[in-house]
Amino acid sequence: MSSTNPNIKKLDGKSPTGPISERWSNHKFHMKIVNPANKRKYKVIVVGTGLAGGSAAASLAELGYEVETFCIQDSPRRAHSIAAQGGINAAKNYTNDGDSIHRLFYDTVKGGDYRARESNVHRLAEVANDIIDQCVAQGVPFAREYGGTLSNRSFGGSQVSRTFYARGQTGQQLLLGAYSAMMKEVHNGKIKSHTRREMTELVIVNGKARGIITRNLVTGQFEKHMADAVVLATGGYGNVFYLSTNAKGSNASAAFRAYKKGAYFGNPCFTQIHPTCIPVSGDHQSKLTLMSESLRNDGRVWVPKAKGDKRPPAQIPEEERDYYLERIYPSFGNLVPRDVASRNAKNMCDAGFGVGATGLAVYLDFASAIKREGEDKIRARYGNLFEMYQQITDQDPYKVPMMIYPAIHYTMGGLWVDYNLMSNIEGLFVLGEANFSDHGANRLGASALMQGLADGYFVIPYTIGDYFASNKFEKLDPNHAEFETALSASKSKYDKLLAINGTKTVDEFHKQLGKVMWDNVGMARNEQGLKKAIAQIQSIRENFWKDVKVTGTNVDVNTELEKAGRVADFLELGELMALDALERTESCGGHFREESQTEEGEAKRDDENFAHVAAWEYQGDGAKPLRHIEELKFEYVKLTQRSYK
Amino acid sequence: MSSKSSSSFFNSVVKKQFMGISGLLLCGFVIAHLLGNLTLFIGPDAFNKYGYTLTSNPLIYAAEAGLMAIFLVHLVLAVQLVIENRRARPIPYAYSRKHSGRGATLASSTMPITGALTLIFLVLHIRGLKFGTHYETEVNGIVMRDLYKTTIEYFQDPLHVLFYVVAVCSLGLHVSHGFWSAFQSLGLNHPKYMPKIKCAAWAFGIVTAVGFSSLAIFSYFQGGR
Amino acid sequence: MGGNSTETMSLKLKIWRQKNAKDKGGMVDYNLDGVSPDMSFLEMLDILNNKLVREKGDSIAFDHDCREGICGMCSLMINGQAHGPQANTTTCQLHMRKFKNGDEIVIEPWRAKAFPVVKDLMVDRTAMDQIMAAGGYVNVNTGNAPDGNSILIGQNEAELAMDAAACIGCGACVASCKNASAMLFVSAKVSQLALLPQGQIEAETRALAMVEKMDELGFGNCTNEAECEAQCPKGIKLDNIARMNRGVVRGLFAARK
Repeated sequence: MSSTNPNIKKLDGKSPTGPISERWSNHKFHMKIVNPANKRKYKVIVVGTGLAGGSAAASLAELGYEVETFCIQDSPRRAHSIAAQGGINAAKNYTNDGDSIHRLFYDTVKGGDYRARESNVHRLAEVANDIIDQCVAQGVPFAREYGGTLSNRSFGGSQVSRTFYARGQTGQQLLLGAYSAMMKEVHNGKIKSHTRREMTELVIVNGKARGIITRNLVTGQFEKHMADAVVLATGGYGNVFYLSTNAKGSNASAAFRAYKKGAYFGNPCFTQIHPTCIPVSGDHQSKLTLMSESLRNDGRVWVPKAKGDKRPPAQIPEEERDYYLERIYPSFGNLVPRDVASRNAKNMCDAGFGVGATGLAVYLDFASAIKREGEDKIRARYGNLFEMYQQITDQDPYKVPMMIYPAIHYTMGGLWVDYNLMSNIEGLFVLGEANFSDHGANRLGASALMQGLADGYFVIPYTIGDYFASNKFEKLDPNHAEFETALSASKSKYDKLLAINGTKTVDEFHKQLGKVMWDNVGMARNEQGLKKAIAQIQSIRENFWKDVKVTGTNVDVNTELEKAGRVADFLELGELMALDALERTESCGGHFREESQTEEGEAKRDDENFAHVAAWEYQGDGAKPLRHIEELKFEYVKLTQRSYK
Repeated sequence: MSSKSSSSFFNSVVKKQFMGISGLLLCGFVIAHLLGNLTLFIGPDAFNKYGYTLTSNPLIYAAEAGLMAIFLVHLVLAVQLVIENRRARPIPYAYSRKHSGRGATLASSTMPITGALTLIFLVLHIRGLKFGTHYETEVNGIVMRDLYKTTIEYFQDPLHVLFYVVAVCSLGLHVSHGFWSAFQSLGLNHPKYMPKIKCAAWAFGIVTAVGFSSLAIFSYFQGGR
Repeated sequence: MGGNSTETMSLKLKIWRQKNAKDKGGMVDYNLDGVSPDMSFLEMLDILNNKLVREKGDSIAFDHDCREGICGMCSLMINGQAHGPQANTTTCQLHMRKFKNGDEIVIEPWRAKAFPVVKDLMVDRTAMDQIMAAGGYVNVNTGNAPDGNSILIGQNEAELAMDAAACIGCGACVASCKNASAMLFVSAKVSQLALLPQGQIEAETRALAMVEKMDELGFGNCTNEAECEAQCPKGIKLDNIARMNRGVVRGLFAARK
């Protein structure tokens, strides 16, 4: 680490002080407020219309601000928040099982392996209850008990039942709620929704974020959009790995463009891997499908005891099977946390015990559960999941054990923001998965939806007002030099991509990058692998800019060109992730450094040296970015080591 | 962009509801007409008396005008709906739409055709029978029109019989979808009763087709006497 | 999966190509070999696109995103059926094992006046957003909500509302309707909100406003064919249309009080 560099800053997260449960209320009181009549004079750009962006856009428009939203899809309703299955947490304690705001706060900090900011997490736990109320009022059809009250279930190994859900489609229903609220404001004339638009540059004028450049995905035109603040809610960057559970269109470009304009990137190496995904079936695979974690409640994970045993599972007798999770973790068994389950599956497959044609899968077997409880009970519990599995794999999980393998699922890292969700660039706010904030090094189940909506419905409406009321905004000329420069920079990037006319398709490069990332910056990382990955990514990037083939033009829809622009950014972000993973020599949460493990092979934190956020500052192409840090203080949750033995 | 000039009151749902109500009323007429005409089987006097009773009632003109109005509503709306529906898909599919087998039926997809056929049939039917050759007869001392003779004569032409049978079968098909469809358009649906209404629609269609066909065929064979 | 299907297929594809909204467009034939039965339909198109790009051709534009059947972005009329031959399945979840070696597959965009083609197989579905903006919401601002449990909702009503709310807004109902009507889409939202107490206050005006917007945008009328229900990938029921029809009648009377 270059800790001697005088340019390295200790960042201030601007957390309020005082008792943790009063911080947000006090902060709200002390923030400045924009007079209701003046709100319409401020314009806000919201990029991304998922849970965070959609809820922010609607709430800001309701307050009276002029809002313009941007999304790459044909409708704001399609953002990938829609795919979240499980549910959303809140500490309502409706089940009378001892839940409280403090417990939700505590679980989230601990689950994040002590790499999140306490003040932020507490605020998240506080507003979670309001989210449920808000969504119910909007008409989100949450599951109900016979008596008409809201139903809860337990999720992700939590000790209390605090998860609200709408069948297996909670993300969809919450997103449609936020989208409906957005459409209400479109009707009221307060939101202008731009679809099929991709943000290609952030525009900063006099140190403040004042607009964006977008590419119209239908006409290829580059457009200037001006505002008084820019809100990025563009989701995570799991697609760096090519194969992930993210949507095909999910990308990091908007956030990465902001990074290249000076916004710090926080903890880029913190990625979450989900243990129960449907394995890859061949080179044609375009994305991975997640199966709910709840399957591990009844399924037993195993591999054959003999290496390379290619017999069908039914022919492998009981004594020749290795139920390795039950063997290694006798007390938690198949229910160990996501990262532990994932890492063990990888270890088994790396050691040659993997099953299926690719050898990159382990069995998840329901035979004992079916024998114990009957097929009907299992069908009632997992029927729709089994159906989905059969649809994709053409195998019947009631008869043949499922095959599963871990997959990239969520990225805890993202643009660095302070307590007000503002990045180090004034007027640039970052919400939801796009920011780094609340989940530390590992996100708990049913917390992503909670964070997205908390940021959008209940945080940004207050903090953006404080920003507006505390600053003066000059009127901008549409021909302002900063906008002209940004526009021509965008244009030249795409022109350059079209001009290369090489031999390999964008997908080929993306797959190459994905493989390097998965092998070296995936579930387990080590110094040697990370260094190798950095070198490989650099060479892929170099080749990409020499040999990529993008056909078509820049005047009509050109999906190849869209992909090329995004992969170009992934090729830089991948390197940043590897660099961050290299410098964080401890293990924590989803970041497992093989050099830092306990005798039992568990992740070992180094709180002495790494109880901080790494926030990377771009220093120019080819130059190593600067690693600033924000110290994390733990006043309410005691630092302890996790153990699942 | 709008292809519809009508006021907001007359939205597509309301149009369908008027279509449904007028259709149900016409169904009522069809049933009454069929029941009355069954007197044909009893004999010439019964049939002629039935005709006389109807036509001698001064209210008949009001009833006919009402029927005409209902029919016109059904017709005009049908034409408007067909035009709008065609405009809604200016470029057709290259591969003709394949029915899933779980949705559209022969009846539902041919409503405009069976409707148009009914219209043609109606014109010919009224011309050939109502305004057909005028004979007179005397029943119980009352002079009245001998509609029986007109009918039997009309159906001596096998082509008339054939067209009549085809037309009433097509009408049967039309009502087998239209009858339940009206309930759906009016929002009168219930998971428990809808299957029964659909059955009733089919029964209604069959009764219409078989009932009227039998009259024509019966008439044809009466001519030989 | 698991390599249980190693044989690959060769397919004859007939695909609608259209440069942009102004272009006339036409069907173009492609032969594609090496299609694995384990591929999804969209992965098959990915392979074709990569091949086209290598051969200096312009790739075929089609809408897709989540590829797990929930975002509603994917479309495609496959051999005359919306989302292809498998019931209750979006195109992204349709797998090539449903086809045979040597099959001819005709792929077209959704066809409706309200869904103009953007390029190739990609259509503009903003009309659906416009219908939503006309009334597909509960007028409640952030911060106004009472406690979630202060509104009691029977389990049955909640389930029925959820059935309707499962609509993914893909437009298959419009595409498969012979009249290009959007009634199933509109009625799903109207029904969801009409079934819940939160939505009942505005139920009538909402139904009326959304239907009027639908008409204005040039969608056709419903003739109760039920082909929409049959081809809906999420099994949205025709009952919703009846429920909306009731709502419209009530709305007309309420509005003219």
